[in-house]
Amino acid sequence: MMPTEKAIEIGRELAERWTFHLETRQPEPNRLDVLLTSPDDLVPFAVALRVQRIGYLTAVTGLDPGPESGMLELLYHFCQGAAVITLRLQVPRQGAVIPTLSMIIPSAESSEREIAEMFGVTFDGLRAAGHLYLPDEWPDATYPLRKDWSPPVPAGATTAED
Amino acid sequence: MEETTGTDLFTVPIGPQHPALKEPSHFRITVDGEIVTDATVRLGYAHRGIEKAAEARNWVRNLYLFERVCGICSHIHATAYALGVERLAGVEAPPRAQAIRVLVAELERIHSHLLWLGVAAHEAGFDTLFMYSWRDREAIMDVLEGLTGNRVNYSANVLGGVKCDVDDAQRDAILKALDMLEGRSHHYLDVVTTDALFLQRTRGIGTMTRNQAEVMGAVGPTARASGVPRDVRLDAPYAAYARYPVMRVVETAGDLEARFVVRIRELFESYRLIRYLLDNLPAGEIRGRMPRRVPQGETISRVEAPRGELFYFLKSNGTDTPERVKVRTPTIYNLTSVVKLVVGHQLADVPMILAGIDPCFSCNDRTVRLEETNGRTHHWTWDQLRRYSLEVEHGRSL
Repeated sequence: MMPTEKAIEIGRELAERWTFHLETRQPEPNRLDVLLTSPDDLVPFAVALRVQRIGYLTAVTGLDPGPESGMLELLYHFCQGAAVITLRLQVPRQGAVIPTLSMIIPSAESSEREIAEMFGVTFDGLRAAGHLYLPDEWPDATYPLRKDWSPPVPAGATTAED
Repeated sequence: MEETTGTDLFTVPIGPQHPALKEPSHFRITVDGEIVTDATVRLGYAHRGIEKAAEARNWVRNLYLFERVCGICSHIHATAYALGVERLAGVEAPPRAQAIRVLVAELERIHSHLLWLGVAAHEAGFDTLFMYSWRDREAIMDVLEGLTGNRVNYSANVLGGVKCDVDDAQRDAILKALDMLEGRSHHYLDVVTTDALFLQRTRGIGTMTRNQAEVMGAVGPTARASGVPRDVRLDAPYAAYARYPVMRVVETAGDLEARFVVRIRELFESYRLIRYLLDNLPAGEIRGRMPRRVPQGETISRVEAPRGELFYFLKSNGTDTPERVKVRTPTIYNLTSVVKLVVGHQLADVPMILAGIDPCFSCNDRTVRLEETNGRTHHWTWDQLRRYSLEVEHGRSL
């Protein structure tokens, strides 16, 4: 199996030699963050990782930096041994449409459906539509993991700080 | 059943409540006669919004929240979370604490695998095996209760270490339980690989090739039964696994039988590791100091749950509350693989194939029942319990 350092090195090299140089960061010794500048880079870069036989898609994390930023951030984590290569993609908060990875990585489907309903990002080409986790009667355009959404507190309920 | 097209295709809805599948999920299975031609899954019947809830609770309270993601592998969730928070805070739990985390994690793996063995045998109509394996599993539940005070949510972890130490009496109780279980496990391995009727339900059924397992992102014993050598305990050792390494258990057949064999062989590996660990426990403290506020930063914590790789992403904004905690449980990716796997199989094989990945469903909890020395019993309210725990923790009365 490929050692952790080698996986990080290949990931860094891929990013630096990309058509337009992609910035990388190494927040921890076993992690490499690749900052994608455009959604168009997502599928080719995932294919490049696969061609280089680095990692498998372990998870997709959605981040909301807050409504004032006007952005959302998607993190695609690929693991190889102890190495975690994360593709970071910033997308606009409203009307973001990004390509699906499920055509090349079938397991991405469940993660993308989760991000779609929790954060309100549309994945172009995603076969399965509709809710995966949220109830059928969940209101439209309401994305619970965004920072500007708070769960309604039923009357008489105790909160976490009680 | 409803007709979906002009041909002979029908869609069979299974779940969320169904006698053949004791977990809250919903499958729509399209069949042509008895043969499955398509399957889709709908989840969320046990969705509790834990990731959102974590953003409103402080780091300490979240430890107990994340322990409740799963009622079977509760300890491994708390371990993944605690290891991540400690890394963000720049704290390292003492070696003895890390070893006890591994000890409880392996005990949990034994109880989880035995539980699965029973469920899977039940789905195959082999209820004798189900009852025997669950009877034996009680020995591990008793050990866990003796060690931590709880059967399900052990709360063995605290941020910066563990809550409970291991004394000689507990060590003897664990070793005694392991001796009994080791003999039983040999018998189970014999049964699942030789019983002709059982093999008709498992051999060559639900076969996933190595390539399929890799492409579909299968993890844990499901992947290892298809020859994919993924095990976080070895690939990215956490807690004390670098000091107490496990042996990788891999089978290549990729069918249901291989998934039984992998899990039962992992039991032997857990028995070996626990015995070695009890003989070589490092001396010293079991917890370190932990700050209330955690410095800004992001980290990733990966651990090997009984069902496969469990992934935590943690982001701190420098306060006493996390900015974001993302959890990816092993079942979600294994479930995706299974939905693609059932196509072409008999409808009657679907419950067995689903059970083969060991899907994780919520366990029921227990009420707190105290037995006094004079034989009377009474129940505690939540508030009484909270006060009692604070008194024990801080040695003070509130």
